[in-house]
Amino acid sequence: MTQTVTWTRRHLLSLATFSPTEYDTVLQTAASFREVLTRRTKKVPALQGQVVANLFFEPSTRTRSSFELAAKRLSADTLNFAPGTSSLTKGETILDTANTYWAMGANIMVVRHRQAGVPQAIAQAMDQLQTGVRLLNAGDGQHAHPSQALLDLFTLCTQLDWEQPHCQLLQGKKIAIIGDILHSRVARSNLWSLVAAGADVHLAGPPTLLPVEFAAFSGVTLHWELSPAIADADFVMALRLQQERMSAHLLPSLREYRQQFGLTRDRLSVCQPTVKLLHPGPMNRGVEVSSELADAPDISLVPQQVTNGVAVRMALLYLLSNRGEQA
Amino acid sequence: MSRVPLSAPTCELLRQVRVLDPVSQTDAIADVLLVEGSVVAIAPQLADIPAATKITAAAGQILAPGLVDLYAHSGEPGHEERETLASLSAAAAAGGFTRLTVLPNTQPPLDSPAAIAQMHRDWPPGARLQLWAALTRGLAGEQMTELGELAATDCVGFSDGQPLTDLNLVRRLLEYAQPLGKPLAFVASDRHLHNHGVAREGPQAIQAGLPASPASTETAALAALLELVAEVDTPVHFMRLSTARSVELVAAAKARGLPVTASTTWLHLLRDTTALTDYDPQLRLEPPLGNPRDRAALAAAVQQGVIEAIATDHTPYTYEETTVAFADAPPGALGLELALPLLWQEFVASGQWSALELWRSLSSAPARCLGTPPPRCAVGEAAELILFDPQPEWVVDAANLRSLSGNTAWRGATLRGRVQRLWLLSS
Repeated sequence: MTQTVTWTRRHLLSLATFSPTEYDTVLQTAASFREVLTRRTKKVPALQGQVVANLFFEPSTRTRSSFELAAKRLSADTLNFAPGTSSLTKGETILDTANTYWAMGANIMVVRHRQAGVPQAIAQAMDQLQTGVRLLNAGDGQHAHPSQALLDLFTLCTQLDWEQPHCQLLQGKKIAIIGDILHSRVARSNLWSLVAAGADVHLAGPPTLLPVEFAAFSGVTLHWELSPAIADADFVMALRLQQERMSAHLLPSLREYRQQFGLTRDRLSVCQPTVKLLHPGPMNRGVEVSSELADAPDISLVPQQVTNGVAVRMALLYLLSNRGEQA
Repeated sequence: MSRVPLSAPTCELLRQVRVLDPVSQTDAIADVLLVEGSVVAIAPQLADIPAATKITAAAGQILAPGLVDLYAHSGEPGHEERETLASLSAAAAAGGFTRLTVLPNTQPPLDSPAAIAQMHRDWPPGARLQLWAALTRGLAGEQMTELGELAATDCVGFSDGQPLTDLNLVRRLLEYAQPLGKPLAFVASDRHLHNHGVAREGPQAIQAGLPASPASTETAALAALLELVAEVDTPVHFMRLSTARSVELVAAAKARGLPVTASTTWLHLLRDTTALTDYDPQLRLEPPLGNPRDRAALAAAVQQGVIEAIATDHTPYTYEETTVAFADAPPGALGLELALPLLWQEFVASGQWSALELWRSLSSAPARCLGTPPPRCAVGEAAELILFDPQPEWVVDAANLRSLSGNTAWRGATLRGRVQRLWLLSS
C-alpha cells in the first residue's frame, strides 16, 4: 500500500459516528485490495506476524469465512473460536475468552455475538487493560454489522465508479431497504452509512417490522407498502425474513408477506431501468426475493457483495492493524 | 472512611447541624441534644447542656431521620455469594438506611412463618429488618400462601416482588387479605406484552438494537390491577413504577379515593434509555429504564408525592453473573450505599427538589406506605437518625462498599456525599 491514509479509529464497533472521510478511506483502501485479489498471487504481507482472532460467539459460516480469508490474504495468522467447542459452558465469561486470545497474542479480534453490545464491552475491557487489541464488530444482536454495511457501500459506489469509489457518488440516489428492518443489524448499519453518503433512503416493511421509531434515523422515509418505497429506486436492498417472525405475532403468514413485500422482476419495473438488487444473505428464495430474481445477473449484485466483502474486510483489518503506530 | 458507629455516647450535642424532619416540614440549622438515644432538645443555640456532654461541630452536615427502604433483595439464604445478611445489614447502615424491607425471593422463599422467623433470627444487629412475606407459594404465582398465619408474624406486608399473571388470583388475594391489615405490593407487568424485552420501546432502543417492550407492558397491567383494587378496598402498593402513563393512572386512582401507594426506584430516576448506548449490564433493570419523558414524569411525580417513595431495589449479583451481554444480564443492581449521595447530587444539589422532598420520599413516605410510623428528627422522639455530609468525595470500589457484590454502573466513579453516623433504635 503506497497511498497515505489517515485513520485514527481504534475499534470498528458501529458506524454511528463515522465521518465521510472515514467512509472514503475504507472505500479507497478496499479498491486497492480488490486489485490485489485479481493478481496471480492474491496475498500481501501487510499483516505478517499479526494474529487475527475470529471470536464468533454466534455461529456464522459466511461472515467468518470472509474475515478468515481477508486475514489470510493479508498474511495474518488466524485463530477461530466457535462456541460449540468453547469454555463458555464451563463458567468462563466472554471477557475471559477475550483475555485468553489476547494472551495468545491476538492483535485484532473480530467479534460476533447474538446480543447487542458485546464487541463494545470487550473493546472497553481490552482498552482498560491497555492491551492495544483492536476490535472489529462482525455483528452484535440487532445493533450493528458495520463490515456488511461497508461492503454494501463499496458495492453501491463501485457500480457508479469502478475506479474511484467514494460516497459522494450516492448523493441523491434513491435506495430502498425492504423487509424486517426491526430485527436487522444490517439495516441499522446501512442507515448510518447511506444517510451519511447523502442517499435518499426509503424503508419499507409491515408496521410490525418497521416501527415508526426508525424515523429517529434522520433523513429516512418510512413506507408500510412496497410500491412507493421502490418507485424510481436506483438500488433495492432486500433483508432476510426469519421464519420465527410468524410465531411472535409479527406477520400473519409468509404468503401474505410475499404478496406484499416479496421482490420480483415484475415488481421492480417501477424502479429505475438500471436498478440493482442487494441482499446480505443468506436469502430465503421465494420469500423476500423470487428465485428468478435471485439468479438474475443483470439485476442481482449478490455475488459482487460476497466478492467485495473480502476486499472490504481486508481494508478494515489493514486500517485497524495500525502498523504506522507500531513502526 | 471509618465504619459507621452503631452506638452513640449517652449525651451528645451536635452544634449547628442542618436538621431535616419531613413530617414537621423542618429544615433549619440548630443545636441538637441527644440523651440516652432520644432527641432531647433542638434549638438555634443550646447553652444549658449537661456536664460531660460530647460536643460535635456539625456545621454543613445534615441530621435527619433514618432512611427506610421499601424493597431490597437478600442473597442469604440461597445466594450467600451475592450478599449475606451481615453484608446486607452493613450496606444498609453505610447507606443511611435504618429500616430495610427485604423481598421474599430468597431460597427457600419467605412463604412460611418458619422462613420469616429464621430470617429474623439470623439478622445481625443493625438496621431494622422488615420482611415482605410471599403472596404465593414458592413465588410460583399459582397458589396463595397461608396469609392468615403469615400475617401473625412480624412481616410488614405481602408481595411476590414479581408480576402475577393470574388476575383471578390477584382478586382473591385482595379479598382474602382484607382483614389482615397489611399492605399488598404488586409489580405491574403484562407477560405477553413484555415478550422478553430488555429495554423500553422507543428511539434509543431501536438504535441500540435491543429487544424492547412497550410502556403498555406496565400500564395495561397497572390499569387492570387498579380495577381490582376499585372493587376490593385492600391497601395496595405498586412497586417499581417506570412510565409517565403510570403516574397518570396512579394519580387518577388516588383522585378516586383508592387505597393505593406507589414507588419507583432510584435508578429509574437517575437514568433513562439514553444510557443504553453503553450496554452496561448493570443498567439492565426490570422494568427497564424509561425513556427521558418517563424519567422526567417520575421525578415530577415523586416531588409532588403522587409517587410517594423511592426504593433502592438493591439487587446484588456476582461478577460472573453480570459479566455478560446486556440482554443476558439478570435484572437489577446495587442501591443501598449509592442511592442517597446520587439522588442528593441529582435532585437537591441541583435545586430541582428541596432537601425535605428527597427525605420524605426516602424516609417518612416509605414508612407510611407500610403503615408504620415514620422515623422523626424531633424533640421527644427516639433517635433513629443519620448524619449525612453532602460534601466528601469517595470512590465506589470494593474497599468502600460493604456489599459483597459490586454490580453497579457507578463502579469506579467518584461520588459526593456520605453518611457519617447512624443512630439506631435499640430493639
